[in-house]
Amino acid sequence: MTLKARLLTLLSAAAILAPLSAASADDIITGDTVGPADAPNKMTFRMTTDGPRNNDPALAAKYSKLFNDFIANHKGWQIELQMMSGDIGQEQARMLEQAKSGNAPDCAAVDSFVLPLFKKAGVLKSFSPYFKKDDIDQLFPFIRDGITGTDGQIYAWWWSTDLRVLYRNKEIIKDAPQTWDETKKAALASVEQGMEGILFNGSRYEGTTFDWLANFWGQGGKLVDEAGKPIFGEGDNRAKFVKAVNYYRDLVESGAAPKRVATIGNYDDFNAAAAAGTSALFVGGNWQLSQLKGALEPEEFAKWTYSPLPGPTAGERSTGTGGWTVASFAKSEDKVGMCAALAREVYMGPANEIQEQLPTRADFYTKYAIFSSDANKGFGEALKVGQARPGALVYPEISNQIQIMMGKVLTGTEATEAAVDDAFKASMEAFKRLQ
Amino acid sequence: MSMLNPSAGSGAAGAVTALGGRSAVNETPRVAPWLLPLILVLGIFYLYPVFDVFRLAFMRATLLDNDGSYTLSTLINTLSRPELGQILWVTVVFTGASVIAQQALGLVIALVVVRGEDRKLFGTTIVRTTALIAWVVPGIAGGIIWKMLFNEAPFGGLNSILRMLGGSPVQWLSDPHIVMWSVVLSNVWRGTAFSMVVMYAALKAIDPVLYEAAAVDGATARQRLFYVTLPQLRSAILVNMILITIQTLNTFDAIISLTGGGPGRSTEVLSLYTFNAVFRNYDLSVGAVLSILMLVISLGLAIVYALFLPKEAKS
Repeated sequence: MTLKARLLTLLSAAAILAPLSAASADDIITGDTVGPADAPNKMTFRMTTDGPRNNDPALAAKYSKLFNDFIANHKGWQIELQMMSGDIGQEQARMLEQAKSGNAPDCAAVDSFVLPLFKKAGVLKSFSPYFKKDDIDQLFPFIRDGITGTDGQIYAWWWSTDLRVLYRNKEIIKDAPQTWDETKKAALASVEQGMEGILFNGSRYEGTTFDWLANFWGQGGKLVDEAGKPIFGEGDNRAKFVKAVNYYRDLVESGAAPKRVATIGNYDDFNAAAAAGTSALFVGGNWQLSQLKGALEPEEFAKWTYSPLPGPTAGERSTGTGGWTVASFAKSEDKVGMCAALAREVYMGPANEIQEQLPTRADFYTKYAIFSSDANKGFGEALKVGQARPGALVYPEISNQIQIMMGKVLTGTEATEAAVDDAFKASMEAFKRLQ
Repeated sequence: MSMLNPSAGSGAAGAVTALGGRSAVNETPRVAPWLLPLILVLGIFYLYPVFDVFRLAFMRATLLDNDGSYTLSTLINTLSRPELGQILWVTVVFTGASVIAQQALGLVIALVVVRGEDRKLFGTTIVRTTALIAWVVPGIAGGIIWKMLFNEAPFGGLNSILRMLGGSPVQWLSDPHIVMWSVVLSNVWRGTAFSMVVMYAALKAIDPVLYEAAAVDGATARQRLFYVTLPQLRSAILVNMILITIQTLNTFDAIISLTGGGPGRSTEVLSLYTFNAVFRNYDLSVGAVLSILMLVISLGLAIVYALFLPKEAKS
């Protein structure tokens, strides 16, 4: 080998190795793993974008730091990161199937609304030994109930929650609508000013059901009884259900909402309408406040605010609350413990803070400065009338039927009562099969 | 042609002998060892899942529970669901319209491209490539692209163009009478390229002597199309229709991202209904029955098409 060739080889080797050495020194997240490759213990973690693979580079960097710090405190471990796709329903169903056949990841993000199915399937490992009683007692009651099994053990850690509110452009709609009638009037007034009217999810999408349910729950309506049997189409519940559906129907038929709401199945559409200046009123999630802040110019963002979802009367309010949990399917105790530690040290608090995701513990609203802001205090206040989706096995099918019903009603292809009865009948059929 | 047939026949006979079929010397039939890996792979990855689908169809299995007992109730209850009639009708309209439009457009584009090549016109390769780009776009991505175009917001793609041209906006996705045609349009956009490729290859295989003879006989362009081109393409058209019918019957990814099957059930085709049964309602047995229904429909249509195939194409 000539001198020139040797020099070139050395330079090439240095060029290849330099980034690797830099990576190992500063960042132990490489590819899809966190931690040293030769770690004797490995844990798989299937996650959403709430992690080092977040689409926002700034958030991804913050999560990467949290994961790096975590693994530095747990020597001898490596975490293999597995990403879920955006189709959460399909991802969760697939994970349940894998868990039933013993092939699930050791640790995973489980959507709070399917948590009852996972608990019922008996595939989750108890987290009770890994969380202090004080931590569990601090959880909001509906959160605690959600993660607790029939044996009193907790089977996941529900770390973030969310809720639905009514966003409005203060310049166009000065006062927050308190009732359905006021909402309709405000929306019609915005239409007169060239806006589209009120926007909400109305297509075949889980958000359609979840956002609308607050109108039913606010009246005291119940979807299922204690045994998980659908009751929304019977007696007093049916009357409340029909009334809440007619509220949405009337918004469209009166022109207070555009017909296109029957095609909306994505919260991003509301951000787009706000950015385009075509809507002044929409039903959205609490997380959209920070999204609007990022998407709008400061002077435009200053025009936007939110208020609790209106009810038939000002005193009949509710809002849907969801969120994410971390749970373990691991076969070995040490991996269950590691998963619980990940939930406790990364997600319980730090992740809430960096992502401004509402905590599920009352004490965190004062512990973290970011949740002491007026906006977040307002969300915390609205959580008091929050309601989670029922932990019934039949809920996914009830939701599917409500989405179908809503499409028929909003497009005017079926009378409300007939559409509600069809949805109830189909839900009952599904309930019988799941027994 | 007549010189090729005997050799093809002897080749087939030779193959039968090699496979251990009954030869003239009356050997005992046996499976050639070299076929075993193929049989094993097909058995594990294709036949076993199909067998499992049939098994699940006669059970009451969900993702959560399976009592292991066998019953006919799942089959009967699923096939007698009140909404199934509407789902099948939506499937027939979606598949029928998509197949006819893809076949017709594919043929037209292929004819234009071949004609352009004959005349050495510029841009024929660009036309072929452009059509193929739509084909390689994944269904979900295609659905999202069309969702942006059909968006009925004031800033929606197609409606903005209509407004600029002085027209009225169209309720592409919210009108139950229009939404099906919007979905068909998006599917045709994506699927036409496949038909175009098949038709292009078949057109290239037509013996030019036939066109020369037609020209000598004074045939017009229309007569050449109907009496030379289309009869020569018959086999290719039928094979293409079998393939795109099966492909369209199985399409749900583009629909799920475009409409999710709504509003209501306006665009919920059988494949999407099956997907929802398994991944939304966690019902494996109902999903298995619906999958078998799709298999039966696909096989039935394939047999019907095959009956129209010319004898030489079948052989």
